[in-house]
Amino acid sequence: MTPAQKSLSLALATLLIPAGLVGAWGASARTRLAESREAPEPVAVASVSNDAYCTPQLKAVVRRVASACGLVQMEGGRGCQPTDAKKVASLSGGDFNALFRPLARRAHIVQFDPDATELDEGGKKLVETAWSDQRGASFFFVVARASPEGSADHNTRLSRDRAKAVLTHLQEKFKDPELEKQVGLLWLGEDFAQLGEEFCTWNRSREACTPAELNRSAFMAWIDCAI
Amino acid sequence: MLLGVVAAALAGAVFSALSTFDFIQFLDRQVHGLHCSFIPGAGRELGESGCRTVLMSPYSSYFRDRIWGGIPVALWALAVFSYLLARAGAPLLRGHTSRREAGFLVAATGLPLGMSVLYFALSLHVGATCKVCVGMYVASVGAFVAAVLAWRQTSPSSPEVTGSPAGWFAQGVGFVALLTALFLATTPPSDQGKTGTCGALVQPEDPSGVMVELKPGRTPAIEVLDPLCPSCKALDTRLASSGLGRELGLKGVLFPLDSSCNWMVGEALHPGACTVSEAVLCAQGLSEKKNPEAARKVLAYAFEHQEQLREQATKDLKALRATLEARFPEVRGCVGGAQVKNKLVKSLRWAVANALPVLTPQLFVREKRLCDEDTDLGLEYSLTRLLAAADAPAQTGGR
Repeated sequence: MTPAQKSLSLALATLLIPAGLVGAWGASARTRLAESREAPEPVAVASVSNDAYCTPQLKAVVRRVASACGLVQMEGGRGCQPTDAKKVASLSGGDFNALFRPLARRAHIVQFDPDATELDEGGKKLVETAWSDQRGASFFFVVARASPEGSADHNTRLSRDRAKAVLTHLQEKFKDPELEKQVGLLWLGEDFAQLGEEFCTWNRSREACTPAELNRSAFMAWIDCAI
Repeated sequence: MLLGVVAAALAGAVFSALSTFDFIQFLDRQVHGLHCSFIPGAGRELGESGCRTVLMSPYSSYFRDRIWGGIPVALWALAVFSYLLARAGAPLLRGHTSRREAGFLVAATGLPLGMSVLYFALSLHVGATCKVCVGMYVASVGAFVAAVLAWRQTSPSSPEVTGSPAGWFAQGVGFVALLTALFLATTPPSDQGKTGTCGALVQPEDPSGVMVELKPGRTPAIEVLDPLCPSCKALDTRLASSGLGRELGLKGVLFPLDSSCNWMVGEALHPGACTVSEAVLCAQGLSEKKNPEAARKVLAYAFEHQEQLREQATKDLKALRATLEARFPEVRGCVGGAQVKNKLVKSLRWAVANALPVLTPQLFVREKRLCDEDTDLGLEYSLTRLLAAADAPAQTGGR
């Protein structure tokens, strides 16, 4: 082989080797792209929460309450009377409370003085904490109660005003335009689903936890159910 | 000394081949590891690194606005080093060289040397160094020095060889042209992308005032971001250096990938991102009166110290809050509070309302989503087209 032929061979080798590599790499990228187009990878999409505790029964209650309380259709009055609550729940008081047991970490119980509807400072703070812990939940339930002292009618009004006190504080503090669509009020007075001792261990605004003190309250929780 | 030129050219060819390979593999629009080591072939890295930053920077390729990803400068380096290998090897095979041929070799090795100086300066501008690139710089310097020494050792009276500098130059151009043509012919065509087909915002409005004004610009755009997400920082850098970013009137929606506030992720992918997001919102102000400049400062600080903040959050979240409050006193008493938590939830729910994928960053230009595959190498190509599409209706009477 002459020196000129050797030089030419070298030039061809130094040209063809990188050319072959570039061609192979390019073709490989082209094939991979075509394959990825045929089988796109699934991507999670942002959505509201739907936690494991959202049993069909709980969802049914939430759906009925949300509808009856004016959350789903924003016409008519806001809130559910105790009689409505019994109807929409279609459950005994004990079973109604049992539905909310999985919410132990999400729920807050704000307590009131006897025959009073004003939130104290601790109560206000707890209401704010509860509201700010929305995460992916869509409905904020306020279930107000009264202890059995006094007449049933008076206790119904008392529990209604306690529920409204929570809503009013939220409106004043957060001025959130979506709040109206998210808060459901339920007032139970003294005659349905009274809270039992087991709720003493839940997140509450006061230390005291006799049955009467526990039920002079408003139970608040974001419900992580997609209904 | 010609042997020195051959050795340096060979080393340069290997490094530039690795860099070209890394670049081309990304043309399949997927995520890959990168060669990031002084030892050729070693150290493939998948995460963020100087090599990745340099590769994704607008300086790694040319004609990015016309070709998806552009033509990599490493490809031309491969062509030039391969050519130098042939050019320096020829006199070795022949057994002698002429003064003119040696002089041409000095001029030819001056090209990679000049490019190395330029690209070293650009790496300082980008703020990242690529080890494979450093390999090419060293090879370029080595080839030039060896060529100069070979030229000095060549006697003016040495016998002339056939060929002329013009012919040799044309040969070099041929190397570059052939590899470029082959690259364009074999790599995926630009129009195989999904630009403009990756969804759109259905509720772009911001009734809860959660958006952060990132920068003013002509075309409205929204970026969904996590302040502690490295990809978000990288996109921010790429947008700033591409020039096209100047067109965008950019607003940010915070979407921390941190399970302490984001129910859509199972774990804290970026620990502390919720707290930092709260600080950004606090700095901007939770009332009607906003201070976007203060929010931008917190965000810039978070981008700058991402790794440190994530580490601090992993060890002690309270310490992270204290760090932010010490650095930005205006957020004191606000971070961790009920109102800012509520605001951050609104920010996350904005993503829910628009059914966005759970990932960051995401860029929307006039409500149209920039495909995820277009946020790095294809940014200029795709953004140019999205901006043109955004301008088109405005020119014909608006939307």
